[in-house]
Parts: sequence; C-alpha cells; structure tokens
Amino acid sequence: MIIQAAALGWALLLSQVEGQEKAPQPETQQAGEDSGEGSKREQLKDVADKVKAAPEPDRSGNDLTGLLTPEEPRPALRYDQPILCTRLPPTKQVPSGEYRMQCDPVTRRCLIAPASELDSDGQETDRALLRTSYCDRSEASANVRVQEGYRFVPAIAESPPGWYRDEQGRVMQFNFDLHRRIYLGGAWAPLFRSGQGVEQNRVRVDFGIQTEFPGGDEDNRLHRLTFLQTEVYLGEPSLDVTLLRYDFNVERKVPLFRITTFFGKPRRFDVGLNLGAWVEALHQETIEREGSELSVLTWGAVHGTLDLWHSPDLVSYVRLRAGPSFERDRTHGQNTLVPTAAFEGNITLDTDGFHHLLFTVEVEKLFLDDPVVGRALHPERLRVRAGYELILLAINDQPVSVVVDGRGAWRSDIPNVAGKWEWSANAGLRASLWAPARRSAPLASAR
Amino acid sequence: MLSLALTALLFALPPDSQGTTAAPTLSQGDECMMETAAGDRFPTCFDPGNALLLGTGLQVRGGVALPTLQAGILLRTERTSRSKGLLWFNTHRILVTEATPGNAQRGLTTTAYEGTFRRHLEDGFILIPTSRPIRIPFPFDITLAVRAGHLERRVWEGPGLTVETGRAALLLDPVRSASGRLWLGFGPAASHSLRRMPDGTLEQELSPFTSAVLETGYETVDGWWTVRASGLAGWISSFEGDRRFRARADGSIERILFALNDQPLWLQLYGTYAYKDVGLARGTEWTAGARLLVRTFSSL
Repeated sequence: MIIQAAALGWALLLSQVEGQEKAPQPETQQAGEDSGEGSKREQLKDVADKVKAAPEPDRSGNDLTGLLTPEEPRPALRYDQPILCTRLPPTKQVPSGEYRMQCDPVTRRCLIAPASELDSDGQETDRALLRTSYCDRSEASANVRVQEGYRFVPAIAESPPGWYRDEQGRVMQFNFDLHRRIYLGGAWAPLFRSGQGVEQNRVRVDFGIQTEFPGGDEDNRLHRLTFLQTEVYLGEPSLDVTLLRYDFNVERKVPLFRITTFFGKPRRFDVGLNLGAWVEALHQETIEREGSELSVLTWGAVHGTLDLWHSPDLVSYVRLRAGPSFERDRTHGQNTLVPTAAFEGNITLDTDGFHHLLFTVEVEKLFLDDPVVGRALHPERLRVRAGYELILLAINDQPVSVVVDGRGAWRSDIPNVAGKWEWSANAGLRASLWAPARRSAPLASAR
Repeated sequence: MLSLALTALLFALPPDSQGTTAAPTLSQGDECMMETAAGDRFPTCFDPGNALLLGTGLQVRGGVALPTLQAGILLRTERTSRSKGLLWFNTHRILVTEATPGNAQRGLTTTAYEGTFRRHLEDGFILIPTSRPIRIPFPFDITLAVRAGHLERRVWEGPGLTVETGRAALLLDPVRSASGRLWLGFGPAASHSLRRMPDGTLEQELSPFTSAVLETGYETVDGWWTVRASGLAGWISSFEGDRRFRARADGSIERILFALNDQPLWLQLYGTYAYKDVGLARGTEWTAGARLLVRTFSSL
C-alpha cells in the first residue's frame, strides 16, 4: 500500500518538482518510521525531490540520511554482479553524490558506495576508486529504485578477485601468485662440508622471472616458463644460471593408455597417466671447491614428467621427472650425456598463495665423458633440497617473502675433490614484482 | 605340407568365408567396434597387412640367442580393374628390415620393396581363339610376386654383403579367395643376386626361372590370428658357370595379444630353414624365434 501510494505520489511529483531550487531538510529513517504512513509518504516525496534535484549543481546542503539503512559489518558490492554508477543526494561525507550502486531485486536492497576514496575522517577525496568493474551510468536508475521502495545500504565498493577494499575505498592485494613474478632475493647460506669446517661467510643472491599460463583444447594443461633463474653464491663461490626452462603438466580428460584385450570378449581397460614434459636450455653452473673449479654448460635437457599428484588447478604437484641432458664441460673441453632422474614437488599450501613448499631429489650421471686427471669416469651428482617460502608482507602490493631451505649435494665430478656430502642451510628474504592474484583467487566478499 | 594344411583349413571354413561373390570382411562395420560402459568406442578388428610395423624379439640362430628388431611399412590394397572388371589383391612391403644388434652375430637384413599382385576372377578360364572360341576352365588366380633390393649383411662374417637385386615369380593360386586375407600361390621364379666377398671380389648369380616359389597365408577376418608360410627351392647359376641347389622355407603364426591405444600388438612365433642359401658362405642354417609386433594404424 505504501509503495503504491509512493508510486502515485512520485508520478504527481514528477510534474511538480521542475524548477525546485532546494530539496527538503534531511530526515532520518528512524524519524520516518515513527511518523506513520502519512509521514512516510511525505518522506518518499522528499526523497524523490532529493533524487530529482541531485543533478542540479546546488545540492550542498542535502544528504541521504533518510534513505540509508546501515548494516554491520558494512557489506561490499560484488565484483561479479552488475553495478550502476549513479548520483544520489549529496551528504557531508560525499558531497559529489557520486556513488556506485548494486541492487538486489529479491531483498529490494541497494548497496551504495562512494565512487571516490575517503580520507581517514571519512570525507570524500578526489581520488577515484581503483580496480573497480564496469558500471552502467543510467541516469534514471536511482530514481527508479527509490520509486520502487528499495532500501539503500552504505557499502564498500567492489574489488576484483584477490583484492580487498577497506572502508576508505583503498584497494589492496591479499592473494598472490608467486608462480608469476620477477623475484630478487638474498639469503645467508652457510655451508657444511663433511670432514671440514663450516663456511659461515657465505651468502646467496637469487633472481628469476617466472610465469605460467593454462592451455590445452582437449586437456587441462598448465604451462610454466622460467627465465634467467640465477643463484650466485659469495663466500664459497658458485654460480647457477638457467636461461630458459619450460614445463607443462596436464590433467587428461581422456585416458593416456587404453588397453584392449582379445581373449574372450574384447574388453578395454583405461589407464590414466598425466605425463608432461620438462625442457631446459642453456644452464650454466660454475662451482669451486678446494681450489678446483668446474664450469659446466648444459646445452639442453629434455625430460618427461609423471605427475603423482597435482592440485585441481595443476599449480601444485608432486612428480617424477627423468630424461637426458647434454652438457659441455667447459673446464675440460668435452661434451657429455647426462641422464637425470628426479622426484620433486612444488605445493602451494593455502588459497591465497602465502605458503609454499618445495622439494627436490635429483640424480645425475655423466656418460660419454673422456678421462680427466683426478676424476673417475662417469662421475655422479646427487642433490636434495627442501624449502619453504612464506609471504611476510606486501609493499605497494608487491610481496616480500621469507625463504628458508636446506640443500644437500654429493658430487664426484670436480677433479681432485673427493665425492662427499655438503649441506647448506639458507635463510633470507625475497622481493617479488608482478605477482598478480592467483587464477583461483576468491572475491574478498566471498572470503 | 603347410600349404596343404592351409588348403584343408580353407575348405573347413564356413561357406561365407570362402564365398566367391563377396569379400568376407567385417571392415567398417559395427562388428569391428565395441563400446565401453562409458560409451567410448574401440576397434576390435585389424588388418595385419596395412600398418607401420615395429617389432622386437628373441631369435635363436645356430644355437645362439640374439635380440632382434624389426620395422617396415605394410600396405594392402584391393582394386577393381577398369578394363577387365577383375579384382586385384595387392600387398606391398616397403623397407621391411630386421636387425640383430649386440656383439654376437650382429647383422641386418632389409628388403627395399616386396609386393604381390593377385588377379582374381570368379570363374577363371583359358580362351582358345579358334574359329569358334573354346573356353577351358582355369581354376587358378594369377599372382605376380616381385622383390627388389634385398640386402643381407652379417658383420661377424667380415666385410662383404649379399644383395638380391631383383626377383620375380609368377604364381598360380588354386584357392582363388575373394579376400586378401587368404592366399596360396606357387610357381617359377627368376632372380639375380650379387655377393661381395670379403676380399672385394664381386660374384653374380642368376636363377632364370629355375627356382620355384610358394607363398601362402591366412588371416582371420578380425585379424586376431595369422598364419604364413613361404618357400623357395631351385638351382642358381653363377656367371662363371657354376650351378648349385639351394632352398629356403619359413613359417610363422601370430596371435594378437592386446591393443594399446587402439594399436594392436601381436605375438609371432616363427622359424626358418635355409639350405646353402645364407651369408657369404652360402651356408645352411636354421633359426627360430618369437617377436612382439606392433602394427600401428592397422585398425579397421
């Protein structure tokens, strides 16, 4: 009844409000509720006047008090739902009257958020909201909603998945994809060698560019690329840099192996194996131990991978990897074939990408090598590594993480250096650029 | 004997499989496709004569066990002659190669091309062009069997190799099967071969239709079983005038084991006996072995 009366009043008012200089004085919603049906009708009339008058430049004395029904905690507009950009009667906090509005026809509720950031006192600033979605600038939309009896609820503007917006409208990233980043870090990396003292004055500087992208028409695939992955150790010097590394893993929709038997009635047995590939090009390793230096350049490596487990989005995995590498022993001027086998994992432990666990066990053996003084034929290398990376904070939405890992290596390919285990514990910080939100990032409003 | 056995087997087959009006094949039909519980279809019939062949196995040769590798391209065609309205059943075997790697008796045998062309007529006859032509029944299909570029290299015999540059045989096929899956041909063959000896000398030999060839085989319609046999016997003469008798026979039986991603794998058991016909020394030798053969792209 109220609504019909309001609609009738609104229709009458539309022909009378032309030329009005000023909207009526603001009224609170509580006052409106106390004044009965007649006063509500008047209030709606006033609201209509306010909304109609909003486009007029002289609106500084109006506010939305009578329209608003605040909720706690303050809701947020949804990024994935249609949003209107509209003008409402100005308030002291939002004198421009520019709002972003999202209405729900079921609850007949409109969430409204200022279209600009607010300062710490809640006053509108001239900084437009960042990372908002498209909005429809329908001039009559607010009027229509008022006419239809919608409630207006103060809210926080929308933010894209992986981003959070505070009550001042400032947006910040809470979800990070550390598989898409440019990182630079440093770590203290003391070295323990079997039978020798501890090399404590050893630090590591690391750098790399990583990205990944999904693909595949028939299968769900994730392609990973790493450029210039670099680790430089100072103290007990060594260098490890890889120009390019590419790999992909896959969740096959069709079984990899379909086995048909022909004894009795033919029957088919499907065996699904998620096989992928791993390729590396131009990997330089220089290492110096006990006064003996070895410089090895891997021309290329082509390995196959078998995922033992992977997450639904393929980002996390535990897998086996094996294949040949082709190396150039630059120190001794010979080319070698290096079969490699590895068991490795890279697991993101939480939804927002703050916790990462990595581990690798890798075995290599050199073939086609010529005799080298002080070194046995077909030397071997064994490497183990386990690490953890945790995002501590973000500076300007660029995460800074702490990286700790333990590494062990046994190798007999350095001339005049007996094969022995060496262990290092690394602890340091890493700054990451880019690091967008993960593809699986949730909306802040859905957290 | 084997051919007689095959002939007997032929007559024991159901009438449909030896009918003369239609090829007894299940090709392209739903009989050759089955469905999984999920509704995925998979082939159950294969053509062993149409494939890319890859194989490996173990062979016993002269009491020595040897690993073997095999590869080749197999093609089988069936066409109707435009001029005569006849059916031709043709097989082509391209670069079929067998190698015995390893340190003991390392060797390689390869054939650049081998083909058979069988001309099939439902009611064969010979026409005698008298004033009133006389038609005499001729109960044979005619098969032309050719082979070119057959090379045999036995590393353990030292430098040198044997090359059969070409061989042609005209075979009569009394079975006259209306399918390419059954054949039995015998007839005279001519051949020319070269033998480069370890000392560098080159010997040439010729068999001007003084040899006889037998080719026979049977494959089940679904391709699950295959039996083949062939034989060659006769006199071969060197350009210097020497003449010798040589013979060779081989046979095999195959059974499909399973298919991996619709590519079938067969187990083949085979044996060969050669009398004064192998290697540079023209030796006598027997071999027997087992192979696992993958014939890719052979599903119907």
